[in-house]
Amino acid sequence: MNEGTGMKDNAGTDEAGGLDAQGAAAIMQEARERAQRELTIRRPLIFASWALVYLIGYGVIWLSVRGQHPYQAPQGWTIALVVVLAAMAFAVTAGVTDRATSGVGGTTALRRRIYGLSLALGVLGVYLMEAALRHAGASLGVIGVLGASGPLLVAGVVLVAGTAAWLNWYMFGLGCWLIVVAASSGFAGPAGAWAVDALAIGVPFLVAAGVSAAWQRS
Amino acid sequence: MSEDGLDPVIHAPARLRLMVTLAALPDGDTLSFTRLQDMIGLTPGNLITHLRKLEGAGYVQTDKTGSGVNALTTVALTHNGRTALDRYTVALRQLLDTAEPARQD
Repeated sequence: MNEGTGMKDNAGTDEAGGLDAQGAAAIMQEARERAQRELTIRRPLIFASWALVYLIGYGVIWLSVRGQHPYQAPQGWTIALVVVLAAMAFAVTAGVTDRATSGVGGTTALRRRIYGLSLALGVLGVYLMEAALRHAGASLGVIGVLGASGPLLVAGVVLVAGTAAWLNWYMFGLGCWLIVVAASSGFAGPAGAWAVDALAIGVPFLVAAGVSAAWQRS
Repeated sequence: MSEDGLDPVIHAPARLRLMVTLAALPDGDTLSFTRLQDMIGLTPGNLITHLRKLEGAGYVQTDKTGSGVNALTTVALTHNGRTALDRYTVALRQLLDTAEPARQD
């Protein structure tokens, strides 16, 4: 330990003198609440930012493809909108996480990095698979279903698997819901899949943002 | 151990804050010296003094990696430290419980 300047201070005088049981209990409670407040990731912002990606981004894509018979593909600007919204949501997620976990190291930080890497690799894999399917002659409709729901399926599986490390059952429930939505939305067709995903993910995320905000305030 | 059963190494405002703050982290996690200083609000010299006392009792472990501007000191609660804080909390609760009826009499 060599931080600081070795300055003389009054550390030696900060002993128990005058600290009674009530005072100690008050210090413990204040320190516990402060640590919890500062070290807890503020999930409402994260949920809200991703809710916008699905409600606005996927919603706009659905509006642009719903009249296509046969299904072609989303227009370039709608894909760009989703990319911009997702980049903003990533930035919010990273900022909020960094604020809470700055300076925290060890097992949890390592788990979080592995978790983020798994998600990124999985989503990248979906888009590579899209290209491979196209190359193999798959129809635009099949590509559309995979593009809309593939990333959700990956996120769901990563969340469910992540429960093994975090033992967080909310995370498990959310992962299960993402898998159910991703696996079933394709039955609505390539255009309908965007609408189902927008509503079935966007609305619960918005609700989760509100619930977790109320929970963190209480 | 003091007469009232409270561990004197922990029973000081700054060290109590340090122990409780570090106990908020899951087992196996560490906190950087600068973040800990920011959360507790002590001068670096003060923090070092208290950490040395806790480290001497085997309640915290500090590790330093890198050197110069890249130096990073991390602090973690040890298993003994967590047990000691649990014991302290139980002793404190007993003290408060016995003080309460006495005040009501």
